[in-house]
Amino acid sequence: MRWVWRKARTLVTVYFAYMLEYRGEILFWMLSGITPFFFMSAWSQAAGRGLTAYSAVTYARYFFAVFLARQLAIVWVHWNLSEDVRSGKLSFRLLQPLDPLWFYLADHLGERGVRLPMLAVVGLVFAWLYPHALAWPGAGRVALGTVAVTLAFGVNFFASYAVGLLSFWLEDATEIYNLWYVATLFFSGMLAPLGLYPQAVRSAIAWTPFPYLIYLPAALWSGLEVDWRRGLLALLLWNVFFLVLARRLWRAGRRHFSAMGA
Amino acid sequence: MRYLRLLFTFWQTSLAARMEYRTAFVTAFLEAGLEAAGKVFGVYLFYASGYDLGGWRWQEALLVLGLASLIDSFFIGVFNPNLRRISEMVQQGTLDFVLLKPVSSQFWMSTQEFAAVGLPFLLVSLGLIAYAAAAVGLSAGGWLLLALGAAAALLLAYAVAFLFATTSIWFVKVFNVVYFLNTIVWTGQYPVQAYSRPFRLFMTFVLPVYFMTTAPAEVALARLGPGWLVVLFAVALAALLLSRAFWRFALRFYASASS
Repeated sequence: MRWVWRKARTLVTVYFAYMLEYRGEILFWMLSGITPFFFMSAWSQAAGRGLTAYSAVTYARYFFAVFLARQLAIVWVHWNLSEDVRSGKLSFRLLQPLDPLWFYLADHLGERGVRLPMLAVVGLVFAWLYPHALAWPGAGRVALGTVAVTLAFGVNFFASYAVGLLSFWLEDATEIYNLWYVATLFFSGMLAPLGLYPQAVRSAIAWTPFPYLIYLPAALWSGLEVDWRRGLLALLLWNVFFLVLARRLWRAGRRHFSAMGA
Repeated sequence: MRYLRLLFTFWQTSLAARMEYRTAFVTAFLEAGLEAAGKVFGVYLFYASGYDLGGWRWQEALLVLGLASLIDSFFIGVFNPNLRRISEMVQQGTLDFVLLKPVSSQFWMSTQEFAAVGLPFLLVSLGLIAYAAAAVGLSAGGWLLLALGAAAALLLAYAVAFLFATTSIWFVKVFNVVYFLNTIVWTGQYPVQAYSRPFRLFMTFVLPVYFMTTAPAEVALARLGPGWLVVLFAVALAALLLSRAFWRFALRFYASASS
């Protein structure tokens, strides 16, 4: 078991150092995730006129939690795979005695190490601007929300991985991932808490992964009502689904791969 | 004239190159439709709860949304693919070749690529604008004002995007700045009156999204007088001149591959 730990630590620190180079990029990428705060402002205005079920403070908490949940579960492995397959760089990865999945996973974990301190700064600014929105949701909710966001990262990662593997057959798979991304934008509770969505929409998406990718952790952290048992179960099932799919595509695709030297 | 001919050649070549990626193009159609539906749904959620986004009728709000989608489609089709190359070229030193050419380097850097995946988004956004404009019963003069306002908005969006992308001369690895702008335009999909005061000020004076979506719609709907069109163009022109001056200034700091 010790060697697993050693390898994992080496990989993650290497990618952490690599990602530090890209801190400027990561900063701007994170800033492009500030849209939830605009939704927060608009919904708080609506709440100010007594129009919606939630108060302005609830919206402030909720959309800050949405911002966090999105940032923590961000993935780009479809892009890596697309690039590596097209340029033939995958050949070098195949030479190494370790499944490429681990490299990509370490890449993402290392990046989180650079992103977390930046998120902390955004959190401090938010706390300074909206001191009345600060509240401790309770250890249980924090823990459950963290489990949820980790599982959500897993679903995103394996779905993105599966889509990226399609580049063995298609020239450019990144556009297909955008479909997933767009569905996440609109059905995950980023526009508004899911409680405000029409009942028909809510039941239509109940067993898709989308409502749990962002709404589940955000609702847990911000104290909104949510069926977390079903949410965690759904996330777990979707993790298994995309993991199995990704492995199958990997096995089939590797045989299809015909880069220089492969 | 020469620049128009160049533009035509550039876009023809990059269209031909992108035809390699047909599945991407088909997917983009699906994506454009899904995204437009989702955005309309986002506006609907506000109206369903009774909030009129600060005094806008539903169809009027859709007009603002359409303008935001129009600008977004230009980001996808033209601004993103071109401006991200500035940072690539600085990294590789290939910017030298562009500077040697007998055309304006800003023109070259801003127009060389045209991503076909932007087309579906353009069509969907035009459809949305046409629907909204017809639904509010825009007069012939209103349509003209709308078209001119949209043109000013696009010029402004380009200038601001170029201004941001120019910073990659110093910071090299920052092509995410263009994506950052891209999402800022996203915030312009609702009229600025929907937001609280600090957000409104930010969207007017810091990142001028107000002039890209809300203001053109207000001019077309005669909420603002036609004289405001002059203001829109003045803002766009000022931003263009600024982006040009800034590009020239930045090039002085470009340590090329050969020098």
